[in-house]
Amino acid sequence: MRRGGAGVNQAAGAYRTERWSGYVLLTAGAVAVVVPFLSVFLASMQPSGEPVVGMEWPQHWSLDNYRQAWTVAGFSSLMRSSALIAVGVVPASLVLAGLAGYALGTMRLPGGDGVAALFVAGLTIPVELIVVPLYFDLRSIGLTDSYLGVILVEIALFLPFSVFWMRTHFRTTPPELVEAARIDGASSWTVLFRVLLPLARPALTTLGVLVFMWSWNQFLLVLVLIQDATKRTAPAGLGFFVGQNNTDVPMLAAGTILVMLPITIVYVLFQRSFVAGLLQGAFKG
Amino acid sequence: MTAAAGQRARRGRGGRRAGRAWRGYLYVLPAAAVYLAFAVLPALHTAYLSLFEWDGVTLGEWAGLRNYREVFTDPALRGAVFNALVLVVFFALLPILAGLVMTGLLSLPRASLGGAGSRRRGLGVYRLLFMLPQVVPLVAVGVTWRWLYGEDGLINETLGGIGLGGWARPWLGDFDWALVAVGLVGTWVLSGLCMMLFLAGVHKIDPQLYEAARLDGAGPVREFVSVTLPQLRGELAVALTVTTVAALASFDIVYVTTGGGPGEETTVPGLLVYKLAFTDGKVGLASALGVVLSLLILGLVYVINRLSRTERT
Amino acid sequence: MDGHGIAARTRAPVFLALLAVLVTACGALTPGTAADPDRPRTVPSQTAVPQEDITLSLTFADAPALVDALAAAFHKRHPHLTIEPRYTQFADYVKSIKLTMASDTAPDLAQFAVGMDDIAARGDILDLGPYRDAYGWRKKFPAAALDQLTGSGERAAEGDHLYGVPAGLSMTGIYYNKELARKAGITRPPRTLAEFDRQLAAVKKAGMTPLSVGALDSGGLHLWAALLNNAMEPEKYRAWVKGAEGATIETEEALAATAKLVEWSRKGYVDEAAGGTTQNDSTGAFVRGRGVFLINGNWAAGQLSEAMGKKAGFFLMPAAHEGARAVSSGFSVSYAISSRTRHPRAAGAFLDFLASKEAQKIVAANGFLAVDEEAVPTPKGVLGDVARAHRRVTDDDGMNHFPDFTAPGMLDPLRAGVQKLLAGRTTPEAYLASLQDVWDEQYGSGR
Repeated sequence: MRRGGAGVNQAAGAYRTERWSGYVLLTAGAVAVVVPFLSVFLASMQPSGEPVVGMEWPQHWSLDNYRQAWTVAGFSSLMRSSALIAVGVVPASLVLAGLAGYALGTMRLPGGDGVAALFVAGLTIPVELIVVPLYFDLRSIGLTDSYLGVILVEIALFLPFSVFWMRTHFRTTPPELVEAARIDGASSWTVLFRVLLPLARPALTTLGVLVFMWSWNQFLLVLVLIQDATKRTAPAGLGFFVGQNNTDVPMLAAGTILVMLPITIVYVLFQRSFVAGLLQGAFKG
Repeated sequence: MTAAAGQRARRGRGGRRAGRAWRGYLYVLPAAAVYLAFAVLPALHTAYLSLFEWDGVTLGEWAGLRNYREVFTDPALRGAVFNALVLVVFFALLPILAGLVMTGLLSLPRASLGGAGSRRRGLGVYRLLFMLPQVVPLVAVGVTWRWLYGEDGLINETLGGIGLGGWARPWLGDFDWALVAVGLVGTWVLSGLCMMLFLAGVHKIDPQLYEAARLDGAGPVREFVSVTLPQLRGELAVALTVTTVAALASFDIVYVTTGGGPGEETTVPGLLVYKLAFTDGKVGLASALGVVLSLLILGLVYVINRLSRTERT
Repeated sequence: MDGHGIAARTRAPVFLALLAVLVTACGALTPGTAADPDRPRTVPSQTAVPQEDITLSLTFADAPALVDALAAAFHKRHPHLTIEPRYTQFADYVKSIKLTMASDTAPDLAQFAVGMDDIAARGDILDLGPYRDAYGWRKKFPAAALDQLTGSGERAAEGDHLYGVPAGLSMTGIYYNKELARKAGITRPPRTLAEFDRQLAAVKKAGMTPLSVGALDSGGLHLWAALLNNAMEPEKYRAWVKGAEGATIETEEALAATAKLVEWSRKGYVDEAAGGTTQNDSTGAFVRGRGVFLINGNWAAGQLSEAMGKKAGFFLMPAAHEGARAVSSGFSVSYAISSRTRHPRAAGAFLDFLASKEAQKIVAANGFLAVDEEAVPTPKGVLGDVARAHRRVTDDDGMNHFPDFTAPGMLDPLRAGVQKLLAGRTTPEAYLASLQDVWDEQYGSGR
């Protein structure tokens, strides 16, 4: 545009070399990310019980370790527990946060900003702050060793972000939409379901996958609230498995892959939502 | 804003309408109830318990602020807080540095071409990969690295392979290196997030700013320092907040890799809260530590956001 | 303005409501409950087995296969009595046992664990003293095993309370790889500590790793305890573990034992990876030929016998002089009776059943040392070494508690402390002082 032809050529040349070095750099970073995952995967393919040194290409490929981890080491029940909890947490979080975010984002509630601030204040609550009394309180009402207890606490723990997220979303929807519907005599309920909800699907999807991830990965909470080995979740089970069977590296590696697999699949399927959520969601602070 | 203004204008003073405004809280009620019952009340209960000496079973004994004094005077507890602060270097500063360097190099073409070529082909795959450590359970990450750091692990094997066998050591059992080793796991997890955050931020920068800088005769480095960096202030604050919280509240990685050892070299507050409350029977002290940890996090988050805001104005 | 007015008017009640919820939630009460004085503190003195159908719940952490087999055998002998085992992993068990036993839904029987003394003091488990006499347990169980389950310390004044009965026993010692040892010119287990010292030096000189230790978890404290057992008089040590008035670990003998551990580490006798290796891993490495000696417990004997066959041997940490009293660290898988049980006599029948030949065979088959050694034939190989060593220890009344039994908070300072000693990061004096600090906190330094 303003530049002369020579300048463009020069810049284009710089761009080419730069593009190259950029890809080299990206690839180096990608290798650093992939190697740990790859080495666990390769280890999981080694014969069970063998010592594994460094990174070794397996002699022959077999899923024996996975089969063993799934049945003998009980990863099937661990994964089922995690899935059950996630199935409880995700829909409930979406409903609760959707309703609250709608009211706090589109209606002018008396003291609404204060209530929103109360939720936002919970964004930085670490599990460490609440886990001790939770154990004693939930125990006294029979909610330890119970999926329901973990589900309720996880919902509460993720609600600050969930409400904040949905409120932000509803605030950005054009107010004219709501106004128009109201003038037509629609109730607030109808406005939510007929007008806003269809528009909120991307926001809800993103929130759903984020909540699923947090729920699946939660460790300390489950470690404390679930003592019953038969109800333990995948990360908690893996944590204990390490302490017990660490001589059998291939099986441990298979277990590790199994625990990572569901969340990785969800991540790949919903990558757009995920990346958007993680990047925008990071702005929660 | 306009909607709010319009609503306010129409609402008037009538009690009937105020009642209807209140009705909106019915939507908030379920969320508020769960949040209060299972997050806010436990937090307050922790603060309450921190004023007692209690073993979790028998009748507790009022302790006043004694537990807090112990948090600040007991070398083991103070050491744990110090370790968490060291982890901030690895969880927050290093990933942000790595993210900035990557962003600087990757966004150069954008700068030199005034916006053209800002979208790199194939970046999607890289993005997918770089965010992966952030997505999988930290417990699984810890198990993976515990094994990589092991005596016969990949790290020592690689060192041996490139003639640095003298450096090989059981990293997680080494008094000098254990905390660094644990910290670097955090760096590995969080670098991708920081990088992606900054790259996304760079794309939002007005290309004209680069044009202007170039007209002033700025080179690529000065361009990065004087245009890119200030424009990324918001992203920097966010990255710093997220990673700092991750460092201070860390538990999962430490629990599976070292369990706090060797000695107490990698003990972090989260680990102590768990141990004090549930194995040592010092519920009050654990609660006090939890409160102190949360206040520390809150304070740092406040400072970070305050700084990023004052700089902007 | 208008909005502010409404907000201000509504904020106060909201705040008050919150406060009310808060106060009720906290109960404005001191946490915890006082002990219930109405519950019985001891078992009855009759031994008649009740004839109605009874199901007893048993909560435990060790050896599920053993418990299942014992429960099945017991049910076969008394068809109307059923044991319902409830398994919890060890780390959780130690963490939750106090709470479990204090709750109204406490199980009838529970495996004895660290912290049981506190539970006994609260009256949550029954004193088994009357059964000991009525069933004649003193003749059926080794004195040391019963002694470890007998309350003393501040409770000693009230008499000799028994709080548990052992099923199988455990003990630590040193395994060695006979093949590798021979390469270093070692042909027999050491008889004195000085001889062991020379053997370690010989192995080091031969370019092998002398002593494998899994000090990342509890292997380090086993090594320290093994040295301590032979340095400190067992009675003095036991007084300390049990919290007897005025007991201390800051003694010349303990200092010498600790200094020995530091010396071994400094001379390179201890595997330099010890601090980063778990007990499991150190055993695995030993099987693969890393380390000529290995400190571990009888629980590893089965694995070693299977993997190494005749190559593996076992001996006790030797004392300073040949023919000295054989002392080692060990405990038992033992069970206590809840004071909330409605069936103390059925529970007593189960505990007495543990001493039977039938039960002891089950115990031995599951890798534990039998309480009654005559009940099972001495096995061959390394398992036989362990059994013979165990007999020597029981004959000499030399079985000491593991040091972490001193207090629930003792495991961490022991683990971390030995790691620091091995790495030269603390002095023996400072280490012992840190242990004594925990002791003082548990039992009070003033007493």
